[in-house]
Amino acid sequence: MTERMTQVAVVGAGLAGLVAATDLAARGAQVTVFEARDRVGGRTHGIEVTTGRWVDGGGAYLGDRHTDLLTLIGELGLKTTPTTMDGESRFAFGATNQTRPGRFPPLRAVPLGELFDLLDDLVRGVRPEAVWSSPQASTLDSQTAARWAEQNLRHPDARTFFPLFLGEMMAADPADVSVLHMAFYLRSGGGIRYLNAFESGAQQDRVDGGAHQMCQQLAAALGNRVRLTTPVRAIHQDRLGVVVYAGGQELRCDRVVVAVPPKLADAIDYRPALPVRRVTEHTAGGCAVKVHLVYPEPLWRAHGLSGWSVNSAGPLLSTVDDSPAGGGAGVLTGFVTGQEAYRFAALPYAQQRTAVIDQAARLFPELPSPIGFHLINWVREEYSRGCYAALFGPGDWARLGPHLTAPHGRVHWAGTETSTEYFGLMEGAVRSGHRAAAEIP
Amino acid sequence: MSVDGVSDIFGKVLDVTGINAESDFFALGGDSLLATRVLSAVARRYGVELSFDDFVLAPTPGALADRIASRS
Repeated sequence: MTERMTQVAVVGAGLAGLVAATDLAARGAQVTVFEARDRVGGRTHGIEVTTGRWVDGGGAYLGDRHTDLLTLIGELGLKTTPTTMDGESRFAFGATNQTRPGRFPPLRAVPLGELFDLLDDLVRGVRPEAVWSSPQASTLDSQTAARWAEQNLRHPDARTFFPLFLGEMMAADPADVSVLHMAFYLRSGGGIRYLNAFESGAQQDRVDGGAHQMCQQLAAALGNRVRLTTPVRAIHQDRLGVVVYAGGQELRCDRVVVAVPPKLADAIDYRPALPVRRVTEHTAGGCAVKVHLVYPEPLWRAHGLSGWSVNSAGPLLSTVDDSPAGGGAGVLTGFVTGQEAYRFAALPYAQQRTAVIDQAARLFPELPSPIGFHLINWVREEYSRGCYAALFGPGDWARLGPHLTAPHGRVHWAGTETSTEYFGLMEGAVRSGHRAAAEIP
Repeated sequence: MSVDGVSDIFGKVLDVTGINAESDFFALGGDSLLATRVLSAVARRYGVELSFDDFVLAPTPGALADRIASRS
């Protein structure tokens, strides 16, 4: 064979980019992965809470339907561990805490059922493979989820619960997303029951030892083909191919896979220019801040508690037991999402820490002060610009949707936001990486 | 007969067939989210508002029909 190896540049060393690079390398392409940060992993990020015990500062959960992710986990020799939910939950709706079996909040069931009935109708109406052509797409695309809630939710319990639900499911302030995007996201993730559930749902398991290990292992196998602290600023195409400008480097190649979130992809200088941008003025970043409170062990279990809580006032809107498997530490993970995350993300770190620790003390008065505290402010992460995923606002699906995966000449697109299946989740990222790699001849 | 009506609601919400008076909603894969959808359907059909805790104590069509009868 005298045929020259195909040269491919991959932008972004998150799950999508590294999966694409690994597929391409396995097919004999010469790949170079450019990563802006000094680490790989993107929106997966491990935190070592005590020696040898890791928790997920970013993407964490998976379920049985996440088949490409499970295949990858298996291929890398990693294992999953169940997310534990045994014991009673705590709820802070109003002035007093309530402790109840199971995950159902102390709210009226019928209004919540009516909310889920309405959401399920919307979810069933979406065409996930071509969202913009769903029935009534233009109406649903023009309205925010906040406005929809004002018009459709009459009972105060449904109005209380809806933003908490949307925050948990998709890290969205209802004012930031169109009704069409909300319906698409919930559909893409497997429907409201699957996306909401721990057991038999999208939060059933975690990667034992942390989801960050997937990217670390993929990057280790690629070796010096991964270049850290090398942000890509321009991608210029000419008759001969593509030139990628990254850090002080220039790389001439045949194809490029851009595997970064839409806001970051949009900030790259393309020549010729993109026919349609990657975001609009209505596109928001997912608003999530993830907090870990570390204890010597999962002390709440001795009090019959699962660690699960839901709170109508912030900063933490929910907590969950994310203790590492195998003991050595107890970890309560707290989520600040939606509108609350914008407010909280803007506070100085010391104030964030105090607010969280004070809230945890009120919520779980039986627990001592935590021995460790970790906070990842995804809202302010320069090289993620939000988490879980980009939020499509009014009009975005009509404008951006048809172009999400359409190559721009020799430039291809990956990232969880380019996957109509499991959009916003690790599974979507992995699927997008395989798809983008397969597009390259 | 509300046992048949409640069985019908269980079947639709769980997307399964063969529900009888003794079928346990939670054993068939029902969870709290789906339970609220049973209760909203019960409210629409019978005009009776039951709580989640009512449902946990009466998770079969037979038992739930008794609760509905005692409230209506």
